Amino acid sequence: MPQNEHIELFQKRYGRRLDHEERQRKKEARSVHKKAEYAQKALGIKGKLYAKKRYAEKVQMKKTLAMHAESDGKRRSNEEPKKGAIPAYLLDREQASRSKVLSNTVKQKRKEKAGKWEVPLPKVRPIAEEEVFKVLRSGKRKRKQWKRMITKATFVGQSFTRKPPKYERFIRPTGLRFTKAHVTHPELKTTFCLEIIGVKKNPNGQTMTQMGVITKGTVIEVNVSELGLVTPGGKVVWGKYAQVTNNPENDGCINAVLLV
Amino acid sequence: MPVYNFKALPTVPSASDLLDVVLSKTQRQTPTVVRGKWQISRIRQFYMRKVKYTQQTFHDKLGKVLDSFPKLDDIHPFYSDLMNVLYDRDHYKLALGQIHTAVGLIDKIAKDYVRLLKYGDSLYRCKQLKKAALGRMCTLMKKQKASLVYLEQVRQHMSRLPSIDPNTRTLLVCGYPNVGKSSFMNTVTRADVEVEPYAFTTKSLYVGHMDFKYLRWQVIDTPGILDRPLETRNTIEMQSITALAHLRAVILYIVDISEQCGYTIAQQAALFHSIKPLFANKPLLVVCNKTDAQAMEDLPQKSKDLLEEMKKAADMNCAGLTASMVVDSSSADGGLVTMSTLKEDGVSDVKNKACEMLLMSRVDQKLKTRKTNDVLNRLHVALPSTGVRAPNIPKSVLANAKAGYPKSERKTEKDLQEENGGAGVYSMDVRKNYLLEKDEWKYDKIPEIFDGHNVADFVDPDIEERLAELEREEEAMLQEEENQMDEESEDDLTAEEKQTLKKIRAKKSKIIMDHRKKKQKGQGSAHIARKHDTERRLTSRRMRDELGEMGVDASAAIERNRGRSVTRRGKKRALEDDEDMEGRSKSRSKSRSAVLGRTHSSKSRSRSRGPSVAHSAEPGSGFKHSAQKMKAQILSDKMQRKMQKLARKGEGDRIIPNEMPKHLFSGKRGIGKTDRR
Repeated sequence: MPQNEHIELFQKRYGRRLDHEERQRKKEARSVHKKAEYAQKALGIKGKLYAKKRYAEKVQMKKTLAMHAESDGKRRSNEEPKKGAIPAYLLDREQASRSKVLSNTVKQKRKEKAGKWEVPLPKVRPIAEEEVFKVLRSGKRKRKQWKRMITKATFVGQSFTRKPPKYERFIRPTGLRFTKAHVTHPELKTTFCLEIIGVKKNPNGQTMTQMGVITKGTVIEVNVSELGLVTPGGKVVWGKYAQVTNNPENDGCINAVLLV
Repeated sequence: MPVYNFKALPTVPSASDLLDVVLSKTQRQTPTVVRGKWQISRIRQFYMRKVKYTQQTFHDKLGKVLDSFPKLDDIHPFYSDLMNVLYDRDHYKLALGQIHTAVGLIDKIAKDYVRLLKYGDSLYRCKQLKKAALGRMCTLMKKQKASLVYLEQVRQHMSRLPSIDPNTRTLLVCGYPNVGKSSFMNTVTRADVEVEPYAFTTKSLYVGHMDFKYLRWQVIDTPGILDRPLETRNTIEMQSITALAHLRAVILYIVDISEQCGYTIAQQAALFHSIKPLFANKPLLVVCNKTDAQAMEDLPQKSKDLLEEMKKAADMNCAGLTASMVVDSSSADGGLVTMSTLKEDGVSDVKNKACEMLLMSRVDQKLKTRKTNDVLNRLHVALPSTGVRAPNIPKSVLANAKAGYPKSERKTEKDLQEENGGAGVYSMDVRKNYLLEKDEWKYDKIPEIFDGHNVADFVDPDIEERLAELEREEEAMLQEEENQMDEESEDDLTAEEKQTLKKIRAKKSKIIMDHRKKKQKGQGSAHIARKHDTERRLTSRRMRDELGEMGVDASAAIERNRGRSVTRRGKKRALEDDEDMEGRSKSRSKSRSAVLGRTHSSKSRSRSRGPSVAHSAEPGSGFKHSAQKMKAQILSDKMQRKMQKLARKGEGDRIIPNEMPKHLFSGKRGIGKTDRR
């Protein structure tokens, strides 16, 4: 015991007060009411946070209770089948009780198996050109409207240099250029921050692909040399395709799933 | 010199608490209402502010933690080693380093997202970006959960560390477990350390304070040490090793000669020799404890030899420090220092001896430094001259003292009191000591009130002088007045003349009064507006009367005054009169109309000409002929007209009295003109 722990020292020397246990018990018993009172009284963001916390606790408790109940149910379902004829509409009940027995882990595994063969994002929302290209007015009187600025995330190759302003029809602002993507390997269940090599295909059209616009569902090529993947022939793979799963312009980052 | 007070470290919030605090602060301190119809730049700014504010709050909160925790490289080596032992240096540094990195990352995230927000083109997108930014910051902080928890624990432990000053006078008590270190501490100081009859009762460093030679001393009680290699020692032992290694203190190595602690004297001696390197450069004292259980004399010779050997080693250790101390410690008792903490036997001797040793060594060390020479050069200790310095008593006093003092003749007040009935009865005569001009005045009666005046008010030591002075002054003034009166006395006037003088004066004063009144009304100008003349006194009739009274003929003046309102007909007549007058008088008092008439008109001139002045160009006036002069006159009149209309002081006056007249600049503009609203 360090030198300055006076309370502990006192308790060690002289013990606690005689009704300490009783007080503790009562305090604990009262705590439920206290919490409930606070939950009703708390206002604003504090109230919200507290309610959320309590809700999460309750859910957790119900889940654990349910788990216990399930294990109980398992035992019950193992009962001997009743003798004699049973009407068809009662047969189903037994079946149901058995299905309940299946543990959550099995369900999880099934789900995973099903998901494995799905294409990550089969459908995407079509994006209008108006949304992607913002018209910039130019000229002394701002009358000319032939310039466009791309308002989505873009990938621009390293060797790219901008054209002179007179000929530059599409502007890809540097603030929205991305060079890296968070790529998830679906089998390894891990995510890597990988460099983008290029945009393979944007579902919204050829122009978008050429422009290097990255929207949700775009297939990009990423540099996977860090992962150390090897082809059956023994060569190191360094470029692989991945599909973007988020809206990069809204999230400020690119998340993608590796296509294996 | 830094002060080691770790009690004031601010609490380190847990990760979830920190998030709640920071996010709710952002919610509270930044605006919360945003509308989609706002200008996009305003919406962007609204969300940028949120992102930046959150980042700043994180930065401040974590920065405070980083600043307050001590840097292991900066603090005293004793503390840095102690913290290494207690909290593991690497772990500590790693935790702080991770927090530091997190701060940097949060700053970077904020910067990135603020840049992205600049391209946000809708409220929805800006909001999503803000959400992503805050989310990423929070995720980062959640990953620092373990570091924050660790730092909070370290803080709590550090705040309970005893406040050891590594540079002050210190006694350091060490030895095997259960040899009586803590009991020594308890007897010497008021620290109230736990003492139990088992090993490792003391598990950390304890500090107590005591007084010796009016100085404050710090006593440090260390946990027991076992004799084993350094690598295998546990945290508890390492604390005492740290203290031994880094504190410049006198070390009391306590040996239990009764061997009740479970270790033989041989074992204790072995430990002493194995940790000897730690004692280098420090005064060292071997103390034999528990003499109540085992007398020193009854020890077997073998043990005695061991103790002697330790003693010798200790002396050798001290010999390196000062020459004087060896002499002192060996001559003190020639043997070992013994005590019994149970019976409190010899404890104070041990204390005194240890303190003396440390003081001496500290002084010696100070003397060895270069600084002392600088100070010594400037010091001069003045010593009294040798020889007898007896007190100087005058001879007469000595003679008197021998012969006895003669009895004084004078009667003191006390003597009088004794004669006249003692204290309380006798009242002292105050008046007999009065200093007055004559002695017989001493007992005169003085009234308090005389002629209705308080006598005390007039008592003034130099009243006579001042009175005399006043009288002289008055006399002088009277004299002067008399002289003046002599010069202009009215006495030689007749009664009639006096009457006239009176009249004259009255008149004079009246005139002055009137003039003043007039001046007030007319505000200094000669003319007085008719409206001010309420009594209708400024009439020409009155003027005539009054001037007539004074013997002045005012008829001409009145005529001139009247001339203005006279009809043409009347004027004509006046002209004729004037012609008659021309021959007779050429007096200057001619009415204006008369003058005008004469300059302009000959009899042949037609009536239509207006009364204009001076048409002929005088030579030297710069005009060729009268026509030119007239033209100039007209032009200047024209100029004047405009200036006067606008109330200008002159050509240079371009002031605009009201730049924005209210009536022209307020209200709605309808179909009318701008100058009429």
